[in-house]
Amino acid sequence: MIQTVLDQLNAQCVAKCDHAKTGLAWSVFLPASELLRAVKLLHKEEFFLEDVTAIDAKEGYLLVYHFDHMDRPGRLALRVLVSHDAPRVPSIAPVFSGAEWHERETRDFYGIDFSGNPNLVPLLLPADLDVHPLQKEEGARAYVADLLSPCEVLRSEPGFDLLTPKAVEGDKKAKAGDGEGTAA
Amino acid sequence: MRNEKLDLVTGDFYTQNFQKGARENTLILNMGPQHPSTHGVLRIILELDGEYIVRAEPILGYLHRMHEKMAEVKTLVQYMPNMGRVDYGHPLAWNWAFAGAVERLGGIEVPERAEYLRVISCELNRITSHLLWWGAYILDLGAFTPIMYAFDDRERLLDILQIVTGSRLTYSSFRFGGVCADINDKFKELVNDFIPYMRTRLPMYKGLVTDNIILRKRVEEIGYFSPDMIRRYGATGPVARGSGLAYDVRRAEPYSVYNRFDWKVPVYEKGDAMARYLVRLDEIEQSLNIVEQAMASLPEGKHIVDKAPKYTWKAPKGEAYFAVEGGRGKVGVQVVSDGGKNPYKIKLRAPGFSNLSLFAEASQGTLLADAVAILGSLDLIIPEIDR
Amino acid sequence: MNGIATELIRIVVGLVAVAAFVGLNGLVLVYAERKGAGHFQRRPGPFEVGPHGVIQPIADALKLIGKQLFTPENADPFLFWLAPLLSFFPVLLLFVPLPFGPVLTVWEVDLGLLLILAFAGINVLALLLAGWASNNKYGLLGAGRAVAQSVAYEIPLLLTVLAIAFQSGTLNLSTIVSQQGSWPWQWNIVTQPLAFIIYLISALGETNRAPFDLPEAESELTAGFHTEYSGMGFGMFFLAEYANMIVVSGVCTALFLGGWKGPFVDGFWWYLVKVYALLGAMIWFRWTYPRVRFDQLLNINWKWLLPLATLNLLGTAFLMKVF
Repeated sequence: MIQTVLDQLNAQCVAKCDHAKTGLAWSVFLPASELLRAVKLLHKEEFFLEDVTAIDAKEGYLLVYHFDHMDRPGRLALRVLVSHDAPRVPSIAPVFSGAEWHERETRDFYGIDFSGNPNLVPLLLPADLDVHPLQKEEGARAYVADLLSPCEVLRSEPGFDLLTPKAVEGDKKAKAGDGEGTAA
Repeated sequence: MRNEKLDLVTGDFYTQNFQKGARENTLILNMGPQHPSTHGVLRIILELDGEYIVRAEPILGYLHRMHEKMAEVKTLVQYMPNMGRVDYGHPLAWNWAFAGAVERLGGIEVPERAEYLRVISCELNRITSHLLWWGAYILDLGAFTPIMYAFDDRERLLDILQIVTGSRLTYSSFRFGGVCADINDKFKELVNDFIPYMRTRLPMYKGLVTDNIILRKRVEEIGYFSPDMIRRYGATGPVARGSGLAYDVRRAEPYSVYNRFDWKVPVYEKGDAMARYLVRLDEIEQSLNIVEQAMASLPEGKHIVDKAPKYTWKAPKGEAYFAVEGGRGKVGVQVVSDGGKNPYKIKLRAPGFSNLSLFAEASQGTLLADAVAILGSLDLIIPEIDR
Repeated sequence: MNGIATELIRIVVGLVAVAAFVGLNGLVLVYAERKGAGHFQRRPGPFEVGPHGVIQPIADALKLIGKQLFTPENADPFLFWLAPLLSFFPVLLLFVPLPFGPVLTVWEVDLGLLLILAFAGINVLALLLAGWASNNKYGLLGAGRAVAQSVAYEIPLLLTVLAIAFQSGTLNLSTIVSQQGSWPWQWNIVTQPLAFIIYLISALGETNRAPFDLPEAESELTAGFHTEYSGMGFGMFFLAEYANMIVVSGVCTALFLGGWKGPFVDGFWWYLVKVYALLGAMIWFRWTYPRVRFDQLLNINWKWLLPLATLNLLGTAFLMKVF
């Protein structure tokens, strides 16, 4: 069951999301070191990998792993924050073989290094291309808290502040965004 | 690879990379990107021992257009036509996934009639997708004629879809809050003619092609995928349903009005190429059922909300994921917005991408001809895989 | 001396006539194949060049002749260009003993059947050379398939032919024809139905026609042994394939279907009608069936056709001895 998995995770933050509003059932923040253990649990519980991608935010690259279950649907987003300076996470390809390609694609687009990926060569972009097209310029980056829809936080580690709105920046953004947006 | 005679290293980056893991006395064969059965521009490097495949590696990127980068420099409304071009087989599924994600993010309600129109056009599009696959797959197996029959039927459907979408291949007719146009009497008439017509064609295809002994010998017990393999690679759609996993996004994550209709999810347990073949043919039948019921119970009303988002419309901050069942599996679109005109990030989850990643493992130890049969049974649309 | 001269002149004239016949037939068959395929596939086929597209094959031929002949890098030019010639010219010899009519045979030899079977074997050498010399991996795989397939399918072909030879007591095709009657129930197909079926299947395998077109399997090997050939290099293989089809159909007609004998008036027209009926069937098969897999192809041969052909031969021999 999903609940047992969530209980066993050493997560920084576990949030329950409204499927009708976000398309997610659960949103879980993990440290990079916990990732492999978490996906092993998910594999045991017969989850399957939907996709791997990243969001280039101000705090760093927020890696997103979407998982779903074939018999008990409910999308689970595992999120791992890595820094811009040393973007490196362990590969989950040894557990979910399909992740190999997703990780290679993410590396192409963002330049994130997946240590342990069996064949980390460019997948979609030319082999001799040095540019990572989805990296944003420093000024264009937004805070994670401004990018994610609000979810009901069930538990979070003390000191975990990714989802706390950043006041100064938040005001500026709110003006630009017509004020309609529901800032997290 | 080292060419002794010319004393130079041949092969590009990928060939050389592949060559590193090669065994003694094997043949490295480059299949594609121009090869009749790789459907466009897929490239596969094979290591062959005789005609048996030791190792295979698909090389992607020959049709890569960086749709996800394009999203960042276009407004949300401007980005809709891209969705018609991601997957030429079932573009309306992509339309729907994107429109659905934005509607979820912006909290836009879709009128009931628009939902029905979406279901009708999307299901008709699914039939064209499966017909295209069917013809092309039999062509891969060496029979040329069925694709002409499939295109004959597909042509009728394209005429129908043209009325409601305005185009014949790269549909982008969905709008945030509805669809671009309502249907007319001509459309109703053609659809009502088409449904019984197609129902007479399917038994003919069964007798003409599916029951052919040569075809059965080519696809039965070829390319077995176990349920665990399906999950490890994240394969969905007919590929998963051919391995006994009754996973259909229309049922699992119900969207729109699908739960109002009476239809079945075809599932076959065997996990071979034949199972995937039969799933797709059954799905044509189920799509016909859905279209028939939707046409019969089509409610009156608007086909789009009054204040549909215009060109400069800004989505509120936040993130939304929307998944629909496309012809090849789970089509997912994740939209992240920082409140600006352009989306902050869009992620396109292509089912073919995950399905194709199975191939390297599934093709090991099979014959070259089987590899073609397995590739075909995955229903590849390269623009969708490369995005 | 005089006798030899007339014989020589007869053979030379015959060969020229055969070459003309093969070329003309190529055109007719191309048209028949494309038009037939078209109608099988609910489309009109070639329609633009001439009325109902009848001049289309000539346009195709001109296109092939006009194309540049291209030798791939690192290919062996001598062997590479020898292969299409070796594929095409021996086929002309196969027509020599074919009995088109009561007197319409280029050269009536007692060992006619043996001559045909012997020279038919050269074709496989041409395919092997083509695949090997073109320095292309697809070509090599195609050539490998061609050799295995030809060697395999020649054996049941030979055994069924032998059964007819036992029954007729001769290897002379004209004699075999003249032993059969004019009406279908007087043909050898009645006494040797199994041999006829085995012959037909083996003939498809021998001529690399669908569903046994594995050496050139388009969807697997792009074009197999002739991947690298352009223009008339390809045209030669193409023509040889059609010529081979005519030969196997011609032999089949002579052996099983009464040759030039037919109801009411015997003559070469009956021969042509039967040959074209068989060719039509071959075209029909090609546009109907998917391709078998290579191991299946060999299994059909070694596990079914060969034992059945052997049994058939033994049965024939036994019956010949008893009665």
